[in-house]
Amino acid sequence: MNLKKYRKKSPWILHYNTGSCNGCDVEILACLAPKYDLERFGVLNRGNPKQSDILLVTGPVTKRARERLIRLYMEMPEPKVVVAVGACACTGGVFRGMYNVENGVDKFIPVDVYVPGCAARPENIIDGVVRALEILEEKKKDLQLTRKCVGDIEYVLGKQLNRRKIVAEGIRRCYEDRRD
Amino acid sequence: MSKELSVVLTLLSPFIGGLVYGFERIVRARMQNRQGPPILQPFYDFFKLMDKRSIMIHSFHAFMGIMYLIGTWFSLYVLLSGGDILIAIFFHVLSLAFLVIGGFSVRSPYSVVGAMRELIHMLAYEPVFVLAAVGLYLVTGTFQVSELLKTDTVPILTLPLVFIAFLLSLPAVLKKSPFDIAEAHQEIIGGPEIEYSGKFYEAVYTAKWIEYVYAFFFVFLFAGGNYFLGAVLVVLSFFIVNLIDNATARVNFRQMVSFHWYILIPLVVVNLMLLALWRA
Repeated sequence: MNLKKYRKKSPWILHYNTGSCNGCDVEILACLAPKYDLERFGVLNRGNPKQSDILLVTGPVTKRARERLIRLYMEMPEPKVVVAVGACACTGGVFRGMYNVENGVDKFIPVDVYVPGCAARPENIIDGVVRALEILEEKKKDLQLTRKCVGDIEYVLGKQLNRRKIVAEGIRRCYEDRRD
Repeated sequence: MSKELSVVLTLLSPFIGGLVYGFERIVRARMQNRQGPPILQPFYDFFKLMDKRSIMIHSFHAFMGIMYLIGTWFSLYVLLSGGDILIAIFFHVLSLAFLVIGGFSVRSPYSVVGAMRELIHMLAYEPVFVLAAVGLYLVTGTFQVSELLKTDTVPILTLPLVFIAFLLSLPAVLKKSPFDIAEAHQEIIGGPEIEYSGKFYEAVYTAKWIEYVYAFFFVFLFAGGNYFLGAVLVVLSFFIVNLIDNATARVNFRQMVSFHWYILIPLVVVNLMLLALWRA
């Protein structure tokens, strides 16, 4: 029995705000509200990483938020996709280059779909989620790692990978290159 | 009910419960002026969860999730096979105890808070359930479901207040607003079920569907041998529970317990006392 086609039919969403101005977050909520009603495609806003398939990230990733971002990403079971919503999450937006932000989500976790706009329109967000569902259907169930852990994590932690160790190592690597 | 039919109904109960849950999601969406998901949506969720990579916190926690499913399923089997109502109620308590123990066994504070609130839930509505069973016994003279479904008396005619109290405690059993404090999705994100994922969450999810069948079968019992009236009561109570769910906000746990203990239980007791006086 091919279960892959059901991934598309019941995507559960985790929404995380990494220091956004709340503009994109309000638009995400507008998608779930009666006018656009994403629940008719089975989309639920679970707010729980362990039961979600799609991570909707907004905001330019402040230095306080990056630990939580890595933690949430690693707590989601595979297959999973990441949608960066809004200009800030894609590139840093108006906050780009400031001392307290990290210029976009894809410095820390692999992003599958970028939804531009400041704030992103609900129609664009729905398009992005639909595109993400196409990617989700093709995804494999292998363990997915955060950006800074890809490549050499098995040499550091050994073959017996454990999600908790990976999270700890990923967070440690966030602070490796800090200058202050 | 014959033995074979009860076994078949018990085995089909996740399917029936899933359809009820899917229909409920549509009803809720229509009440909010939305279109809502397709009626088979819970089964799509089910197959998707089956496909996820499984993450366990520790094996005992996952085992408790599965025991919650088995316990709920067994309590429903006791009801459907014509067993004792009280035994069904106590097996239901036991299955919730599995969920609570699972909730306490992990370090997530949401899970622990949710498990504590689950205990408060049981404290609130279980007396109403047991007293309702006592009321059914006083009217029909038996605790056996098989005997109850054969009687000519219609219990709801002599137990109207008990039925109202039971109806108002249904939101607490099904964890619906205003009594959804144990799995308050906006504040503790599912409570004791927060740490389950993939296949293990699927067990908890299915157990919740079975609880729908369990709760509404109790409503059905209030009509005794009159099956048509029973079906009407089930449909009516389903819509009332959803209407209350949509129209109210969450209360805190003190308000929930005091509502059950100061309003619903006295309501049941008054009905039972009037019944005794009328008989004497």
